[in-house]
Amino acid sequence: MEHVQLVGLAIIVSILIGVPLGVYLTTNEYLAESVLQIFSIIMTIPSIALFGVMIPILSTIGQGIGFLPAFIALVLYSQLPIIRNTYTGINEVDPNIRDAAKGLGMTTLQRLIKVEIPNAMPLIMAGVRTATVLNIGVGAIAAYIGAGGLGSLINQGISRSNTTMVLVGAVVVSILAIVVDQLLRYFEKRFTPKGI
Amino acid sequence: MLEFKNVSKIYNGNKKAVDHVNFNVDEGELVVLLGPSGCGKTTLLRMVNQLESITEGDIHLNNKSVKESNKIEMRRKIGYVIQSNGLFPNMTIEKNVMIVPDLLGWDRKKQLDRFNYLMELIGLHPDEYRKRYPHELSGGQQQRVGVARALAADPPVMLMDEPFGALDPIIRTKIQDEFLQIQKEIKKTILFVSHDIDEAVKMGDKIALFRDGQLQQYNHPFEILHRPANEFVSEFVGQDRVLKSTSLYSVKDLVDSVSLTGYQKAGSVQTVQEDTSLRIVISKLLNQEAEQLAVEDTKGKIKGILTLDLVEKFLYKQIKETPKRTG
Repeated sequence: MEHVQLVGLAIIVSILIGVPLGVYLTTNEYLAESVLQIFSIIMTIPSIALFGVMIPILSTIGQGIGFLPAFIALVLYSQLPIIRNTYTGINEVDPNIRDAAKGLGMTTLQRLIKVEIPNAMPLIMAGVRTATVLNIGVGAIAAYIGAGGLGSLINQGISRSNTTMVLVGAVVVSILAIVVDQLLRYFEKRFTPKGI
Repeated sequence: MLEFKNVSKIYNGNKKAVDHVNFNVDEGELVVLLGPSGCGKTTLLRMVNQLESITEGDIHLNNKSVKESNKIEMRRKIGYVIQSNGLFPNMTIEKNVMIVPDLLGWDRKKQLDRFNYLMELIGLHPDEYRKRYPHELSGGQQQRVGVARALAADPPVMLMDEPFGALDPIIRTKIQDEFLQIQKEIKKTILFVSHDIDEAVKMGDKIALFRDGQLQQYNHPFEILHRPANEFVSEFVGQDRVLKSTSLYSVKDLVDSVSLTGYQKAGSVQTVQEDTSLRIVISKLLNQEAEQLAVEDTKGKIKGILTLDLVEKFLYKQIKETPKRTG
């Protein structure tokens, strides 16, 4: 349950940051390139290393290990798929549709809400799905810094040389990833307007 | 109604897309902006609703500068139709058509009535299409819906950017005819971009012909065809311009101008309706489908016989006798 909580909370916060940021970046191509690059670099940092870096920083507020560093790491890892897919999705809305929306007298915000976001929905949701599955995996490693979750099962299994325990942990993590992915696929269908 | 005053559009400091254009459009007129691709006609159209900025000069809509108008409010009062229809794939046909009334905050009842009226106008059954999505419709139907959407809030002015350009020729002719019927009823002031001289002659009350951003001639189709202002215009309308001009007339125009040969009941003759285009009549006669055609009025009564000689006489009379008109 700890695992689901951690990943769920991280994804919600990631969407709240990533989607608006992705939308904003469509108005600023130069900034978009830099931001996407930064998050690409973050993606390449091994999770263990990222946790390691955060321990001394967050220790200054007494949160060096446990939930907070794990949460921050997950949010950071989620940004690339979410921002990039939102950015691409909005950018790839048919220019004719955007032109029509403009010509009919929609404000920028109306265009975004009524036309651009709905039409970019399949791509945005695909980004969220990627981020979620990724986070379920990374979340397991967060057990090393005491964030609990299914990772602790694997951890304990390794330290006790208990193969069964390791396997159970790994299989449960995989099942969780598959189930959540399917669940999100259902939501993706629900949230995508019928006409697309 | 719509005045272009010395309008220019300059890109990147030197490229003139539109070059000192001056002309006026009267209320209820359909003016075709015609010219080869890259002549600035679409840019000029988009300057009216400020999708493109005006570099020099001004455009006045109802005596008010479009530069000074609130863009959003103004656009809602100008119907806009584009070639690729631009329907929103995420919205039902009803939502699409009612987008402007919705932005303007019309109540449900008023929207419903308007939707039903518009769908009847474009010849689609309101209840059958209400809940469907654009991708479920054929190209022709989508384009009709695009027209309905532009008409939704009953704007006095419509901008149409090659609205029927992407349709296949058969559907295209049909929709052009339908649209002319609709225009007879609604009498909007329309700017209609086209690169097709035939379409321009058929649709336009007047034609504005452009080349490299400059207005070459602005006049009635008849004048453009018979009295081209310069070399370019005459080249653009083509050497078969007299043939093209035949689509300006119906059989009725001919009947009113020259007298038909008397009709004797002898064997079977092909008949044509009075509202048939003269172009089709000529084609039929030349095609040896018939040497003569019987003209039928709306009640099915035969008024007389039409031959190629009569058509020739009529056209000759038109060209010689029509007084010169100015745009």
